[in-house]
Order: sequence, then C-alpha cells, then structure tokens
Amino acid sequence: MRRVAYYKGCLASLSAKELDSSTKALAPMVGLELVELESVTCCGAGDIHEAEPDYYLHLNARILAYAEATGCDMLMTVCNVCTLNLRQANFMLQGDEELLARVNENLASVGVPAYSGKVDVRHFLWEIAEGEGYEALKQVAHRGLKGLKVAPFYGCQILRPSKIMGFEDPDRPWSLERIIEACGGEAVDYPAKVKCCGFPIIAAREETALGELIQPVEQAIEAGADVMVTPCPLCHLSLDAWQQKLEASTGRAFKMPVLHLAQLVGVAAGLEEAELKFKRHIVDPRPALERLEV
Amino acid sequence: MKVGLKIWRYDSATGDRALREYEIEAPEEATLLDCLDIVKDRHDGSLAYRKSCRMMICGSCGMRMDGAAVLACKTRMYDIAQEGRVPVISAMGNLPIVKDLVVDMDPFWSKFKAMWPWLEPGYDRPDDGREYRISQERMNVIHKEALCINCGCCVSECNAMESDPEFLGPQALAKGMRFVGDPRDGATVERLERYNREHGIWDCTRCYFCNERCPKGVDPRDAIAKLGAESIRLGIDRDMGAKHAKWFVRSTETTGWLREEELIPKTQGYVSAIKQLKFGASLARHGKVRPVPIPHVARDVNEARNLRKVVQEQDREGALGIVQGERALARLAHGGGAESLEEIYARPGAAPRPFLPGDAEGGAVSPPGAGGSAGGASSAGEGSAQGQGSLTQADVTPGKEPTRKRGGE
Ligand code: SF4
Ligand code: SF4
Ligand code: SF4
Ligand code: SF4
Ligand code: FES
Repeated sequence: MRRVAYYKGCLASLSAKELDSSTKALAPMVGLELVELESVTCCGAGDIHEAEPDYYLHLNARILAYAEATGCDMLMTVCNVCTLNLRQANFMLQGDEELLARVNENLASVGVPAYSGKVDVRHFLWEIAEGEGYEALKQVAHRGLKGLKVAPFYGCQILRPSKIMGFEDPDRPWSLERIIEACGGEAVDYPAKVKCCGFPIIAAREETALGELIQPVEQAIEAGADVMVTPCPLCHLSLDAWQQKLEASTGRAFKMPVLHLAQLVGVAAGLEEAELKFKRHIVDPRPALERLEV
Repeated sequence: MKVGLKIWRYDSATGDRALREYEIEAPEEATLLDCLDIVKDRHDGSLAYRKSCRMMICGSCGMRMDGAAVLACKTRMYDIAQEGRVPVISAMGNLPIVKDLVVDMDPFWSKFKAMWPWLEPGYDRPDDGREYRISQERMNVIHKEALCINCGCCVSECNAMESDPEFLGPQALAKGMRFVGDPRDGATVERLERYNREHGIWDCTRCYFCNERCPKGVDPRDAIAKLGAESIRLGIDRDMGAKHAKWFVRSTETTGWLREEELIPKTQGYVSAIKQLKFGASLARHGKVRPVPIPHVARDVNEARNLRKVVQEQDREGALGIVQGERALARLAHGGGAESLEEIYARPGAAPRPFLPGDAEGGAVSPPGAGGSAGGASSAGEGSAQGQGSLTQADVTPGKEPTRKRGGE
C-alpha cells in the first residue's frame, strides 16, 4: 500500500461528492492509501492565477506544504485543473530557489509549515494507467464492463501545456483508452476528446462555451458511445449538467450519461451505488449500465 | 531517405478538394518545408504553400501536420520517415483557405490591428536629454510576448475562436500584452479597456492549445492571464469574466472552498441569475448545489486570508505574479521538468506508441496504411485510418466551415 496525500479540490468536496466517495472506495483496491488533506483551500482554478497570480502561487504552495507535512512524497489529484495549478506552482518553486525562499518566508509568517519542493503532483488517472496501479487495476476490474462502449473525454488541462503535464502525447493520448480496455469496455474514438468543454467561460460567455461543449457530446453519440468518461469534475459538470442547456438550445435530446473515471473503474470493480452515487448525476447513467447486471 | 506525404489539396475558386499522396526522395536533414519544395519542383508544380525565410523567423509557413499546427521549416522529417509514417498535411485552422496550404490571413491581421500594435508615447523624457532607459527587469515582463513571429499556429487550434470566430485570439492578445507590459507605452488603461470588450480576453477558454502549438515559446495563454491580472489590478473589472475570477479570490478568503452556488450570481449579476433559477433548481435536486448557500468552511482558512494580506504588500501584483515564475518554467522547455515523448514511451510498462484501443496489451503497432483502429475511426478523420491514433482536430479537411456557435445553426 502506497501512502499518498489526497487533494480532492472544491468540486469533489461540494457538487461532485460522488467523485470523492468513489475515489476513496477504489484507491485502496489499486494499492493507494489516501491521506486526506484537511487544512487546504481551493487551488483557485485558472481564476486566481488570472486575478491575483502572486496569491495563486502562495495558495498552491500552502497546499503543497501541507501535503509534504503528511510525510507523503506524492500529492494525488482527481481534477485536471487542480493538477495543472499545482504542477505549475510546483515547477515554479522547484526551479527557483529565491522564489521558494520568499514564498516559504510568507508561509511561515502566517503559520504554515515550510515547503521543500520535493512533492510530486500526479493525477489519479496516471496512477492507474501505468505501472503497479495498472497491474492492480487489471486484477480488481473483475466484474468487467462487458463491451460497454465508452467515449473517453480528456479535457484540456490534463494534456496541455505538455511541458507541465507531460504524462502522455497531448495529441494522441492513450491512458483513458487503456483503462477502458483493461476494464473490459470498448473505447470509441472521436476527435473532440482532447478539446475543451468550455467550462472556464460557461458563466461569463455561455454561448461560446456551449459551442464548444456540443462537439464532444455530439461526436461521442455519433461514435456510438453508451457513456462518456472524464478524469475532470469540471468537465463532468459541463458535460453532465450543462447538457440540459444544450438540449434546450438545440431542441435535441442527447441524454448522454457521463461518468467520473473513478466511477467507471468502480463499476468494473463491483462498487455499489452507496459509493458510486449515480443518483447525483443529471443524466442518470444507470439505464446505460443495466446490461452489465447479471 | 524516402518521405511520404499526404497533402490536402483545395481550390477555393472551384471548391475542389482531394487528398494526394506523394513519395519523394529527400536528404536526411530535410524539413517539411524542404520536402514541399521537392514536391513542387519535381512532382507537382501546382502545389500552393507559403514560405520565405526557411529559418523560423518570418512566420510564413504555418500549416497542420496530422492536425497540429507547425512551422514547416522547423519540422524535421527524419524520425517520421524512419517510423514509416505518412503524415497528413493540411492548411491551418480558424482561417479561410485560399488554395491548398495557403490561408487568408486578413482576419488575423485585422485582429492584430485592433490591438493598436504600436507604442503610444507616454513617458517623460529624461532631463539630461539622453535616451530613455529601461531596466532588464522591466523588459523581462514582455520578453516572451516579444518573440512572436505572427505565424498563426496558435490561432489554428484556438478552441474559443472555433466557437466565436470574432474572438481576438491568442496572437493578437499576446501582442496586446507586449504593449501593456512595455514601460514606454502611455496608453495602458485605454488598451486594457479595449481588450476587455466582448470578444476580448475573457473569451479565452483556457484550452492551452496556443501554448502547446506556439513554435516560439510565446505562451499566449499566459499573456492573456497577464492581461487579466493587469486589468483587475487597475480596477478594470466590469466584465463577467473578471467578476468570475474575483469571486474565486473572495471564496478562498472566506470559506476556503469555492462558493459555487453564488458563482453565477456574482458573475452575471442577480438579474440574469434569476433567469437561471430553473436550471439551478434542477442542479439542486441532484445535490449539485445547495438550495440555500451554507458556506462550507475549510479548516484554518484564516491562514489563506492572512497570506493574501501578506502578499498584497509585496509589490508582485498583476502580471508580475506570473512573470516571476517564468524563469523556472523556462527550464521545462529544455527538459528540466516533465518528460519528452521519447522518454514517455520508453518508461517501463508504458503504452505502445502510438496507442490504439485495439492494442491495449502492448500488441503490434499497426503499420501505416494498415488502417482501422477499433471503433469510430471513421469520425476521427484520415489519421486514425492510418494507424496513428485519432487526430486532434475535427477539421483536418480543408474548406470545412469552422464550427459555429451552437453546433452549426
Ligand atoms: S475540458 Fe473543460 S473543464 Fe476540462 S480541463 Fe478543459 S476547460 Fe477544464
Ligand atoms: S534577428 Fe531578426 S532582424 Fe536580425 S537577421 Fe534575424 S530576422 Fe533579421
Ligand atoms: S488558451 Fe485561450 S487563446 Fe489559447 S488557444 Fe485556448 S482559447 Fe485560444
Ligand atoms: S504567438 Fe506563437 S504561434 Fe502565435 S503567432 Fe506568435 S509565434 Fe506564432
Ligand atoms: S519559412 Fe519563415 S518561418 Fe518557416
């Protein structure tokens, strides 16, 4: 069992509690002991990075410091945007001693432990797409997805900028497909799987955002997908919840269920509704998953 | 060496289009541009593309290779030819195609002009009559933005522009930052007001394609974030995007976690938020938001509040907060951080390159032309039928209308 500091971020704490509960249930099955961070705040999404970038850096440094204080050498995220924010701040601090020293001084002045720069930030997706996690995944996915057609949706900030993310080819990613196949599902392919869902501007520029959101939803349906899966709760929120706005504006019924990564693997691993909490979704995935029963 | 290329030919006058395959003999050091020259000289004189400097400085030769915008003169063909891949070459996206690989740059230049791409003199002349001097530190603020060669690679895949063709876009906005950050410029506030309009900085959807594609390390998305930070620093925050960004700051200070249920009202104002009530109620039914906001407070949130007070007194506000990290992040571009593709595929237990759903267990990589990835290859464009995984972009077919709002209404 590998101990990792678990940063769930805002979404999994609030609107995507189903992500938190399924991650917590699944992690030990794939060899990860989650040490939950208590004293941490929101990472600020792209917003604090844009509104007050110096504060963004300190806020993320504080999260990294508390992760280090748990004695773990890895901080595990379950959200694309958290992953980019924390990795970016981490690289800023690791690559510049002066900056790290200044940030640590400021952290100390408000009573936060120092950060050495030694924590690695990784997304849950990467832990189960390769290496020991992947081997464990193959063992636990015994219930299988029985050929369920799954459309992987990566979203932007787990792939780009690749110099900060760097886990896989940003134009031809494979991690979600590999996991889907290992769980006995069939991965369907469509071009918009690496594009943006429009979430960051969904409140400020709804029309432009919906113009982006429609692409993955439409293409996944065209490709014959039963469900979509995403490693990001923000992508999930727009794909699942804002889908009804797409339906209202186009007059079409999409009804495409969207699963969090931990839920998809969770289904294959035999987790139950108590952990998966599908009832919290706007588009209920249970009818699409019914054929897995028996 | 033998190089195979598939090139999308297109004629806007007739609307004819065709994917032509060429096989040529090229020297090992050949770039994509050299290969196109060989095609034009020896095989097909009618091929149209742009070039000038051949050394990554004029910005003429932007085009797509397998759906991703590149400078043809910066792209070496050796590895691709060794792997036996036959890449698909097409014109850049988000701009109308004139012929073959040549796009109409007029929309690009008109957005560029809308930025006022000149210095508005606004500094005091030094009393001693000497030249106006600027410290290195001040110039570092716009070092990256000043590297732009106007090639359009960033615009090609801009997701916000696909949806809103009027969006000023990454190149123009990065240029804007180049002037906003210049200490000699006297029109900072007027510029920011201008860039804050409807199709300006708050249209950016943070897809990061521009940073990924830029061949010069300009990182336009970061430049846009700098413009946002400067706008907010100077109190230019009427746009819904700015309000949205500020609400995050407020949330971390008060509860630590994002106060999601108040985000829409804080961003759009209460009147339009009320229009969203039905939508909000449906989210509440599924526990997505709480009907009555009860702030959920993170432990020790006062630390975050105090931290903000401390940093606000340290003169690193606005764009400087981003600039201060650039030295460290620049190292990543030289192999100091995340792994390169070669390293990624060399990791023990890594997926085969390129991964196709069919070869999940490390099976053979389909040879080029063998065709057929499992499932849905038809919708994924030419590339996946060539055994290269799916292409990034839907619109590798030239002449196809860019995606308009609401999926092509
Ligand atoms: S797809 Fe949408 S939510 Fe996901 S990372 Fe991109 S912008 Fe964020
Ligand atoms: S650096 Fe610029 S000005 Fe100098 S030779 Fe090169 S292109 Fe010309
Ligand atoms: S990050 Fe913004 S500007 Fe850059 S490509 Fe994406 S939407 Fe366009
Ligand atoms: S920002 Fe980069 S990609 Fe965009 S036009 Fe300038 S040099 Fe080209
Ligand atoms: S020919 Fe000038 S940049 Fe490529």
